[in-house]
Amino acid sequence: MTDPNRRTFLVQSVGALVGMALLPDIAELGAAVPVRPGREPYRVGLVGVGRQGRAILDELAKIDAVEVAAVCDVVPSRVIAGIERAHGAEAFTDHRKMLERRPDIAAVIIATPTHLHRQVALDAIAAGRHVYCEAPLASTIEDCEAIVEAAAGASTVFHVGFTARSNPIYKRARTVVRSDSVRDLVSLYAQHHRKTTWRFPTPSGGNERATNWRLDPEVSIGLAGELGSHAFDVMHWFRGRAPRTIRGSGSIRLHHDGRRIPDTVRVEMVWDDGVALQYQATLANSYGGEYQVLYGTNAAVRLASTHGWLFKESDAATQGWEVYATRQKFHDSEGIVLVADATKLAAQGRLQDGAGLEHPPLYYALVDFVKSFAEGAPVACTAQDGMRATVLGILANRAVMTGETINAD
Amino acid sequence: MDSHASAVRLATAAMGTRFEIVLPGPDAERLRPIGEAALEEIEALHRRLTRFAASSLLSHINRVAAERPVRLDAATFALFEDALAVHRASGGAFDITVAPLMEAWGYGPSAVGAPLAPRPLPRTGMDAIELDPATRTIQFLRPGVSLDLGGIAKGHAVDRAAEILREHGVESALVHGGTSSVAAIGAPEGEPGWRVALGPEPDAPVVTLRDTTLSVSGRWAPDRRQDGQASEPDASRRTSHIVDPHRGEPLAADGPTKVAVIGPSARLGDAWATALLVLGRRPATLPEDWIAYFL
Repeated sequence: MTDPNRRTFLVQSVGALVGMALLPDIAELGAAVPVRPGREPYRVGLVGVGRQGRAILDELAKIDAVEVAAVCDVVPSRVIAGIERAHGAEAFTDHRKMLERRPDIAAVIIATPTHLHRQVALDAIAAGRHVYCEAPLASTIEDCEAIVEAAAGASTVFHVGFTARSNPIYKRARTVVRSDSVRDLVSLYAQHHRKTTWRFPTPSGGNERATNWRLDPEVSIGLAGELGSHAFDVMHWFRGRAPRTIRGSGSIRLHHDGRRIPDTVRVEMVWDDGVALQYQATLANSYGGEYQVLYGTNAAVRLASTHGWLFKESDAATQGWEVYATRQKFHDSEGIVLVADATKLAAQGRLQDGAGLEHPPLYYALVDFVKSFAEGAPVACTAQDGMRATVLGILANRAVMTGETINAD
Repeated sequence: MDSHASAVRLATAAMGTRFEIVLPGPDAERLRPIGEAALEEIEALHRRLTRFAASSLLSHINRVAAERPVRLDAATFALFEDALAVHRASGGAFDITVAPLMEAWGYGPSAVGAPLAPRPLPRTGMDAIELDPATRTIQFLRPGVSLDLGGIAKGHAVDRAAEILREHGVESALVHGGTSSVAAIGAPEGEPGWRVALGPEPDAPVVTLRDTTLSVSGRWAPDRRQDGQASEPDASRRTSHIVDPHRGEPLAADGPTKVAVIGPSARLGDAWATALLVLGRRPATLPEDWIAYFL
């Protein structure tokens, strides 16, 4: 090596230290997109072109190995919105016809309302297609079990869209949480705060009840199920086991428009070792947005979608990689920025560039899905994984609506 | 006004400014979700089009478009087509490739502070952008290109929000981004249109807008912090935040302080307002149905 530059030397040294500390995760931090040089891209079909479906199309456009060959929605105006995003895709209003007429479609992505996942999933599995199903998996335990059973009997991939499991920041944070950096977990906190009615205008050709299924107590699993299940999946995945008991409460604090689904909920989940998660979601205040915190005896980890930070206790030992890490101030606390792909960035002298993800978390989940069916990579979130978090959401919603303490065993 | 008293007002912070939607009418329960859908579109466009976040679509384009074509949705492709059209019609006075120049002059995510005197100047120019309608892709024809949609994204967001309001049957609404990009739908009840002042000064001209858009571009603007949010202007800088693409330098102190244009599209209006500020005059290529004020 001829470069005597001291900064380069230091950065490369840091990279080596990070590598030593986080070696088990280094191999999985990269989100390289599978490519098929000289070959046709994998064709996929999207079922459900609401907001989430459109976000999926935006991210699929970045994955060159994939071509969206069909979009399907029961509302024609949404199909048009899908075509505007997926150049050259064929339009369908019935997913069965899409499966029948497009045998070239290797994979189906399901982004319908949650209570409609089951039928589309079962039909796609029966048709021999790989499936990416948005999270939560379903709105009833019975539907979850039916999907899991069908997925288990198939030779195709079934991936549930709890995106944290593919998120490089969360994967790195999981390693940190399971290390001496955080040590013994004390408690857990998560929130999802927004200020919105959660009511959507009816699209042309649609109907109000179907559009606003989230506010329909007949089919909706409420804030705890629809939003909370993502946080519950993070905690379940990080801890490696499910909580024992679930309590909840909820009320309508702002949107007195005749709805029966609470616009503000609180949930407490307690694990067998006494560690508890406090979760709250509201549609009446946006302060803080969505994030999760895991408090340990050596440090706390705060996770917010594309960013993560480590807040150390003063008496915790300093680890080598922390010395050169990026720091950010939060009032009177200082957070060490958790950087995905730290070793690679450090080696390139770009450690400062890695403070946030280069794509929304959804992108990494979709890349993982493609890698699973194209390269045989392990499925980042299996039907079983998805069912566990979804059932926690369903039970949490039940606790909110009934006030009962639920045994999650 | 009674209609204003019963209006639904919604706002969000995006693109370094405050967007607001005013929906007059007594049926708040119907109007609020429609307004929220429009605001969500603005927020989504902020996430996609900001160059201050690594995870945005624009950052993705800036990272990879020199290596391979990037597929775009129809609305984003049309945005780039419009940017290119105004660039050509204005003789290059509007240019979304000036990001490296702006960085060099102290306006950007990684360069904040007193104006610099960069030499050599970074190479810019929209001739480096190739848009392919057949594949609906964008590609850079040389490395080092970096796009900044600061001169057009707000107008695009206002246009898209207004589209959503109209799609859901709204017949009267005002949408604005930082008061400099405005779309007026219909008029408040009993009024000929939406009265909008062209500046905060008490004697600022007032225009009445109905089913049209207004875009204002000023020579001086709040500084940008590293996070992309606006901060208080630093009067001592005396340097415009708008870079003249021809000279590669911030606009000189002479010339109009502010330009306002009124026409059918806020995103085209935003681009033209910037171009007119750079040119200092109305070019023959500005379509006849556009009104321009030099202030």
